Amino acid sequence: MDLFKEMAKAVIEGDEERTVSLAKEALAKGVDPTEAIEKGFAEGMKEVGRRFEKLEIYLPEVIISADAMVAGVEVFRQHILAKGEQSFPKTVLLGTIQGDVHDIGKNIVRIMLESNGFKVYDLGRDVPVLHFIDKVKELNPDIVGVSALMTTTMVHMPRLIEALQENGLREKVKVMLGGAPVLPEWAKKIGADGYGESAMEAVRVAKKLVGL
Amino acid sequence: MRDQGRFFDFLEVIKRAESGEVMKEADYDKRLGKKALSLMKQYEIHFDPQCVIPSDDALADRIFQAAVDLFLDLGVYCTDTQRVIRFTREELQWALENGPQEVQYGREKETVSVYPRKVEDKRDPVCFFSAVGTPVTEEMFLPIARSYAQEPLADTFSGPLITSYKGIPVTSGSPIEVEAAIWNTQMLRKAAIQGGRPHIGIHNFQSTGEKTDATLASAQEKFGAFPGDGLLVAAIAEMKVDFERLKKVAFLRQSPYVLGALYGPLMGGYAGGPEGTTIALVAHHFLGLLVFSAERHNSFPIHIHHVCNTTRDMLWLISVVGQALSRNTNLIFASNAFMASGPCTDMVIDELCAQSITSTVSGWHLNPTAVAKNRHPMRCSGMEPRIHAEVGHRVAQMRLTRREANRVVLKLVEGYEKRIPEAPIGKMFNECYQVEKIRPTDEYENLFARKKKEWKTLGFEVI
Repeated sequence: MDLFKEMAKAVIEGDEERTVSLAKEALAKGVDPTEAIEKGFAEGMKEVGRRFEKLEIYLPEVIISADAMVAGVEVFRQHILAKGEQSFPKTVLLGTIQGDVHDIGKNIVRIMLESNGFKVYDLGRDVPVLHFIDKVKELNPDIVGVSALMTTTMVHMPRLIEALQENGLREKVKVMLGGAPVLPEWAKKIGADGYGESAMEAVRVAKKLVGL
Repeated sequence: MRDQGRFFDFLEVIKRAESGEVMKEADYDKRLGKKALSLMKQYEIHFDPQCVIPSDDALADRIFQAAVDLFLDLGVYCTDTQRVIRFTREELQWALENGPQEVQYGREKETVSVYPRKVEDKRDPVCFFSAVGTPVTEEMFLPIARSYAQEPLADTFSGPLITSYKGIPVTSGSPIEVEAAIWNTQMLRKAAIQGGRPHIGIHNFQSTGEKTDATLASAQEKFGAFPGDGLLVAAIAEMKVDFERLKKVAFLRQSPYVLGALYGPLMGGYAGGPEGTTIALVAHHFLGLLVFSAERHNSFPIHIHHVCNTTRDMLWLISVVGQALSRNTNLIFASNAFMASGPCTDMVIDELCAQSITSTVSGWHLNPTAVAKNRHPMRCSGMEPRIHAEVGHRVAQMRLTRREANRVVLKLVEGYEKRIPEAPIGKMFNECYQVEKIRPTDEYENLFARKKKEWKTLGFEVI
């Protein structure tokens, strides 16, 4: 359908006005919102992710495209809410671990996860282990994603996994780790379910973990 | 001791951090990207993959002007107050004109004067040897650090870090971080003594502890930190500071230690591609000068995916930033090399050569080196900075021009760039060094010797 191609193009070009108008056009034509997002906007964001992975574009362009997609998706979301229907996307609780203020990588992962249909609760940086636990209890996410850039802060990652275990939450969530000093073999050793070397890999792993 | 009159009033910086324009951090990041892109177009700054070391003075000057515009427009973001610290053109100009033009490291016979270097400078670069925070075991910290300290071409040195002290994980903000930080400084000084260089300057005497209290706790002569040693305070990517960093500045600027500023912008990140990141990296030096009162500057720009600065675009970035700063300031700045591959591989030796040639001819001093993307434990040794420094010295001795350097570096890059995504992590210290003697294995020495022969065929001879 040409409308879907136009929606993808609008995301790739980061044209927020166009994504909003196309979303409205789709609704007016009776297109199913979920189908429109998956075949239109999400396809555009997949292409953006591919280009970023190859560094044909850079983070500012990714952010502009993501903003355009979010604006378009919001039109659909409001429509769904108005009709009383609900959607239950897979959710990710994301944060940079306790003591660490570095978050570029985590922010890129957030953008790519949201663009791939995940609902992301971003707790920000320097997130205490116990705050992660409280939020898992409150929000019941599918995945907990944790980032660290320093060796002195990644030590909290195994503690988080232990805390999940102690609180009877470990079986209810998948745990993904990332960040420069975090190696895949170490992540596996401490009991994480997944690891992302890059933002795109994080999305691939996240999808696999939740069965998408 | 520093002459405070040469620096912008730090108390004024604190005031502006508390009173500047309020802005959401995400909005600041977006502004950076947009401004960098617009300046790149306005000043016609373009990366040419076939010319990683341009001989284009006008380009260097345009990059400098673009960076001034970026800095004045964007300011510096304080994450703790969510405010923007801004400066006027006159304040920036004053700081550049009055900033320090010499710093000294070390004591007695090991005193080293570091001066502003110029493009194609025939003087040797000052070489700050460092393991750049590679994680190592407590048992191997001393021999590894000594392998750096003992090297004749090391003008100063710094060490790796430990992740566990006396069996306890070194955790940010915990008492063990303070204990480990003190031990870190003590061991570095011990490494210097055992290496026969008791008075060599330790340009960053703290790499295990990150928090300010751990840093300050280790900053005592009884632990081995003397006047003539130094510390590095890092900006947060991109163009940001926080109270933790400003607290370090508050201490250091009144201490006998050399205050260095550290920048690691991500190429491909908030500032965009190589052109935008170039502009941002130059602007970071203004941040260091005005906000950190830095006496010297250290840069480790890295590729957002490959976590190194030896790709074509990164070498170009390093070259043009060095040229922009050399031609337009008297700042003292060093290039922190980040290799994709690890110790005792032929690839790492070629990467070291390319990065060193590029940096040296473009006006940088040298700060070798992180290897194996700085993340694989025990992958570091004094041999890598030795290689980097020998190359740098040779560049100066040969009076290599940018044009000649570009030809050699392109050949080197063509040989290794396809392997960067899956670069070999190389050998651990105890696999490429004779640990009892603290000297490289014959394998490693022979590998370097063989590489030197190869380079000779490229017209670059390291004797």
